[in-house]
Parts: sequence; structure tokens; C-alpha cells
Amino acid sequence: MGTPTAEKAAEEQIHGVPLVQGGLDFTGVTDTVCSVCERPGATKGWYISFAIASTGALTLFAMIIYLFWTGVGVWGVNQPVGWGFAIVNFVFWVGIGHAGTLISAILFLFRQRWRTGINRFAEAMTIFAVICAGVFPGIHVGRVWFAWWMFPLPYQQLVWPQFRSPLLWDVFAVSTYFTVSLLFWYMGMIPDLATIRDRATSTIRRLLYGLFALGWRGSNRQWHRYERAYLLLAALATPLVLSVHSVVSFDFAVAQVPGWHTTILPPYFVAGAIFSGFAMVLFLAVPARQIYGLKNLITLQHLENMNKIILATGMMVGYAYSTEFFVAWYSGNPYEQFTFMNRAFGPYWWAYWTMATCNVIIPQVFWIRAARRSIPVMLTVAFFVNVGMWFERFVIVVTSLSRDFIPSSWGFYWPTWVDILTLLGSFGLFFTLFLLFLRFLPMIAMAEVKNVMPQAHAGHHGGHRKEQV
Amino acid sequence: MHKEIRAVGDNRSTGELSGKIVRFGVILAAVGAAASLILLFTGTGAERFFRSYLVNFAYFLSLSLGALFFVLIQHVTGAKWSIVVRRVAEVLSANIGLLAILFIPMILGMGYTYHEWLTPDAAEDPAIASKLGFLNRNFFIVRWVVYLGIWYLLTSWFYRGSVRQDETGDILLTLRMKRLSAPSLVLFALTVTFASFDLLMSINPRWYSTIFGVYYFSGGAVGAFALITAALIFLQRCGRLGMSVTTEHLHDMGKLIFAFIVFWAYIGFSQYMLIWYGNIPEETEWFLHRQTGSWTPVSWFILFGHFALPFLGLISRIPKRAKGALAVGAAWVLFVHWVDIYWIAMPEWYPNGVAFHLLDATLFAAMAGLFIAAAGRRLGKASLVPEKDPRLADSLAFENF
Repeated sequence: MGTPTAEKAAEEQIHGVPLVQGGLDFTGVTDTVCSVCERPGATKGWYISFAIASTGALTLFAMIIYLFWTGVGVWGVNQPVGWGFAIVNFVFWVGIGHAGTLISAILFLFRQRWRTGINRFAEAMTIFAVICAGVFPGIHVGRVWFAWWMFPLPYQQLVWPQFRSPLLWDVFAVSTYFTVSLLFWYMGMIPDLATIRDRATSTIRRLLYGLFALGWRGSNRQWHRYERAYLLLAALATPLVLSVHSVVSFDFAVAQVPGWHTTILPPYFVAGAIFSGFAMVLFLAVPARQIYGLKNLITLQHLENMNKIILATGMMVGYAYSTEFFVAWYSGNPYEQFTFMNRAFGPYWWAYWTMATCNVIIPQVFWIRAARRSIPVMLTVAFFVNVGMWFERFVIVVTSLSRDFIPSSWGFYWPTWVDILTLLGSFGLFFTLFLLFLRFLPMIAMAEVKNVMPQAHAGHHGGHRKEQV
Repeated sequence: MHKEIRAVGDNRSTGELSGKIVRFGVILAAVGAAASLILLFTGTGAERFFRSYLVNFAYFLSLSLGALFFVLIQHVTGAKWSIVVRRVAEVLSANIGLLAILFIPMILGMGYTYHEWLTPDAAEDPAIASKLGFLNRNFFIVRWVVYLGIWYLLTSWFYRGSVRQDETGDILLTLRMKRLSAPSLVLFALTVTFASFDLLMSINPRWYSTIFGVYYFSGGAVGAFALITAALIFLQRCGRLGMSVTTEHLHDMGKLIFAFIVFWAYIGFSQYMLIWYGNIPEETEWFLHRQTGSWTPVSWFILFGHFALPFLGLISRIPKRAKGALAVGAAWVLFVHWVDIYWIAMPEWYPNGVAFHLLDATLFAAMAGLFIAAAGRRLGKASLVPEKDPRLADSLAFENF
């Protein structure tokens, strides 16, 4: 460590690097973020992406209408696999929707100040993912005109939903999660909306952003209350990060179906959800920072930190896979043992090994620092993690159902074109909402980023280490 | 360029206190061991002795492993606030060496604790026969040599690296410990999981639960955080660390205890609810033992004592910042964690009801004495804080806001 550069690198590793690069000051941060949504017309690339994404969303709606019109027979579900793509997609999208609240709530409580660069972005993604997830149980019920039975509404026959069913708990868990995430996202955005209002050049912009800024003036008292509310919402949202996917896992784990009924499922699902959520944030953040010139705000350090979380949660998922496999053997229960052998070597072996490769093997490159800091590598890994996590849900839902206790009732599930277009269409809906967000709302929490800059602290010279990663 | 906050005048060396702690520990251990041996040879018999021994061994092991987890997690995250409390955690984790010695009687007692799969009849029982390739005396001992070896290497490596930095101030040591902490956590997770299967789950070889490793880990972590907190407050009462460890650090320790109480409850709930709901006899048997006879109130006690009470007690910031209240909380958590371990192990041997025996307490005293003496001896060997850690200044200046 004799050379000054090595010493500097060591110093940076220990004390961190500044969160905002490029010598930006407060005005610089505001200009960088606001310029995106203040541009008079969107870029050509945005229009092309939006055209593709909204076509996808329309495809989703068309598939839903077709489904309602014709009936669930248009899907591949049948005996014995009654839960097909719809449930796979539901769990997949709920999982994606976990990174936002983890970043805004748990990382906030852990004083991870780097989260300010990416939290707005991740929270928005969370909300859109939960919207996509929410579509599926609703259209999966078969008789959609009874979908409102999912909610405990009293009506004249006094028939209530089954409160002992985790499917009902799901309705509560996901809707609570959605409400709190939306509140958290919106509340955090109020100061930034006020900034855009104050910079607005047209009356309509001033009125609209002003309406949603709720009369924010940035007074001391307002900031004080804002920060109290933020802390309280963070504390309330923290158990939600764990509870939502735990409840989703109960849908499977309370059953006696081999491969579903296992006690590690709740924390394993939570780890997997954070894993896939971070991969999705990364997958969106990397192009966005490139296109919109946000590299000084979402730095390589932010991306590296996210990659570390992907590695950590990926290891947890791998731990759960191996524990399940070991305990299936250890249990001495032939049905458990068969299910796991069937997953790995049965007719769906390709799904299992896609899952294992994408979720456990590929993220191992993140042990290498250079890989964590390489844009092409992280994009590739993020892509494969999302593929792998979709396949994980496919493996869980389909393999266990297709071959359970009685060989005479075994079956094989294969999706129809409607299933596949519905899945692709859900990505269309997700990207449509996300592109609208990029276009019209501040995609980085300006007020929060400013709060972790050295300029925010009196006498910051020399004592600037607090504000670092 | 480092902000120089050195807490001038603070007493950070254990000095003559170390000898006192060791003396207290040795006396406690001697009294405990003598009483245990008298009980062993005056009619109680080896069966009860080794079962109590296993419970207390599992308890102290979980504390050292939890302390190791604390150390590893500080390194892997590059935490700054915790530098001043890390040394105490390192010392507690380094007791693994002592626990490796204390493991030897465990081998002698296997016939009484793991008789379910050690008896020749096990081969006749189809539910056990298939796993005898894993559950057998030799492989069990081999696995424990591996676990203890890995834990010993990890704890002593991180402890020695930290102490060496007190003298050299070498910044590379910090970087090296950070780099090794991540793979160490992988080893930690695997060894703790399998060790918990071996140590506690296999007492009933018919029963299995995939979350069991996480359950043992979560209890150990919360116990260790409570022990670190209690040790810090004790050292402060003895006039040490008064300025280096502030209310802010204790507040954060309180937050960690609170968080892991909730985490433990989450894991415990997941295990219980899923088994209860699935209602498969081979799984519910385990909980049925704990809902039978006098074990039922113990189960309720754990629900309220290990979750509800500390949850409500520590949710506010006031008790976390009041030394006396926090000390009471930490002591309570250490107690209920012991009850939890007792509740995991004992009902499998005594399904008819709580069979508390004086040996449970005397062996606890013996092991606690040794644990305290070993920690006290090590506390005397180096400063109570990592003196030349490059982040020490940040830690001393740390404030919650």
C-alpha cells in the first residue's frame, strides 16, 4: 500500500466515496433531475419505447377480455394443475415489488444513505409491479363477476369469505402493502413536486404539480412533520416488507402438497422477492441513468451496493434450495423425496435447472469487485435473475401440482398462447406505467439526496465522511 | 483529516478487573461443577446429567455464535457506529475455543441424548432407518469436529486481526477482515444450520423442519446482542468505557435486540403456524409434546416472555436509552432465550411434563462460570475497544437523530 493511489483506494474502501459525484451542488441536483420531466417533448427513444410498452399493455387487456368472454378454458390450467401462469405471474410480480419498500423503509432504518439515489425509482417500480400482480388473482377466479367475494363485504346472504384461507390473507396483505407503498412514495415526493411547481413555466403545470404538492412551502414546521411522518412510515412499512411475501408463501406452505409444505418457505420467499426486486431496479436504473445523464447521482457505488445485495439475497435463496433438498432426503418421506427428484430430473427438469443456474450460479460473479462494477456484467446478471426468479415460481407452482400423491392423476401442464401473451402483456403494463413515471415525475428524490450531501451540514469541510456510502 | 475524538481520559483497559472477573467465574464454575458432580454420583444418574448438559451447551454455543455473527455483520457492512462495541463481541465469540473443550462430554453422553437414533432398534424403524447414514456416532463426531474447527478458525482469526491492529494500526487488516467476512458468513450459515439439526433437531430423529436452522440462529443472535449489551453496561458500572460507549451505542444495541426479537418471533410463528395448519401427524407430534401437560404453560411463557413482553418493553426509544431499563431487558432476554433452548430440547425426552432438575441450574452455573472466566481473561489481554481501527473516530462521534 506504499503508493498514494493504493492508499487512496484503501481510504475510499474504509470511509466510502461521496454519494454525489461530478461536483454537483444543490442547484445542479435540481437541474439534473427536473430537466427530465421539464423537457417540452419526450425523446424519440421514449416514444418508441412507449409505443411498444403500451401495445403490450393493450395486449394484456385484450387477453383479459378474451378470457372473460370465453372462460378460463383458454388457459392451460386443468386437472391436476389448477394454478398455472396466473399464479406464477402473480408471485413473480409481487416479488419484484419488494425492492422499493426495502430500500425506502429498511435501508432507511439501517442508515444506508446511498439509498437516496435510488429509492424514488424503486418505490415507483414497486407500485407498478404490485399493480401488475394485482391483476392476476382477480382474473384467475374464473367467475369474475364474483371477484368481489374476495373482500369481506357483508351482503344479504351473510356469506363471508373463508378467513382461515391464506388466499384471503393475500387480499389483505397485498392491498395493505400497496396502500402503504403508495403513501410512502407519494409523501416522499411532495417536496420534489413543490420544486417542480415552483420551476413551472406554464400555468397548467403549475396548477397540476401544485395540486399534488399539497401546498408545500418548505417551512421548518413542515419539514419537521415530514421527517417524523417519514420515520413512522418507515417503521410501519418494515414489517410489511416481510409480511407480504410471507403471506404469499402461505398460499403454498399451508397445503400438504409435497414441495409446498415446508417451514422455511416464508423467509425464503422474502429473500427471493428482494433478490428479484433489486435485479429489476438495477435493470431499469442502469439504462435510465445512462439516457437521462444521472451518472453523478446514481453512481457506480450505488450500483455496486445493489449488486452486493443481489449476491447476498441470492445466497439466501440458494441456502433455501439446498436446505429444502437436504431435508426432503432427511425427512425419509417418500413423497417429499420424490417431489424434489422430480423437480430436478422429471419432465420439468429444464425449468429447475434454469432456476438454479440463473439464481444461484450466475450471481456468483458478484464475488468479484470488477464484475460488480461492470455495467454489461450487472445488466446480464439482472436479466438472468429475473428469468430465474420467474422460473422458480413456475417450478414451485407447476411441478408440485403436476405430480402429487397418486400417479394415476398425474398430468402435464403447458401454457397456451393466451397464457404467454398475458405474461408478456403484464410486462407491457409495467413498462407503460414506468415510462409515464420517468416522463412526468422526479425520478430521483432530490430533497433526500440533498440531505446527504456535505453542503447540507454546517461546517461540512473536513467532516464530510458522514455523508458517504 | 480524521476528526480527533479520542474520549480522552476514558478507561478502556480492563486492568485488575480482569482478574476479578476470572476469579468470580472460576468460583462459580467450581461450585456449579462440584454440585453437578455430586448430583451425578448421588443417584441422579448420567441420563439426566447429560441432557441438562446438552441444553446448557446449546445455550452457550448459541451465544458465542451470535457474537460471531455480530462481528461478521459489522465487517461485511463496513459499519462505523459499532467499532467501540465490537471488541466485547469479539471476546464473547472467541469463547468457541472453550466450547470446543466442553463438547467432549457431549460425545460421552450421546447414548443418553441421542438414544433414539443410536439404539440398534433404530434400524428397524423405517422412519429413522433411512437417515442412519447421516445420523450415526462417527459421522456426527466428524461433523462436529468440522463445525467447531471452522468456528474456531473464524472467531480466532477475526479476534486476533482486530487485536493486532491495536498495535500496528494497519489499515490493511480492516480491509482484509472486510473481504473475508462475506465468505465467512456463508460458512457460518451452513455450519450453524447443520449444527442445529445435529444438536437439537435430531433429538427426535423423526421430526424435521426446514426453518429449524434459522430458528436456532435467530434465538442465538438475540441472546448474543443482549449479552453484549449486558457486558457493556457491566463494564461501565465498573468504571470502564464510560465515555467511549455512549447512550447512542446502547440505543443501537437495543434496536438490534428489538429487531431480532421480532425476527425470532417471525421465524417461530412461521414454523408453528405452517405445521399447525398442515396438521400432518409426523410434524405436529413435536408441537404436541409442547402442548401437553405442564409443557403448555412453558409454551405460553415463551410466546409472551420471548416476544410480547420484550416487544412492548423495547419498542419505545426511552428504555433503549436508559441504562438500567436496558440492562433489565437484556437480562430478561438472556433468561427467556435459555427457556427457549430448554423448551426445544427437553420435551423430546420428557414428553409428559416439565421435569426441572437442580442439574439444569448447577450445570448452567458451571458453564456460565467458565464462559465468564474465559471472557474475563481475554478482556484483560487487550483494550476494550479496537484502538486503532480507522473508523474509531466515526464510532466515538456517532449519534442517533
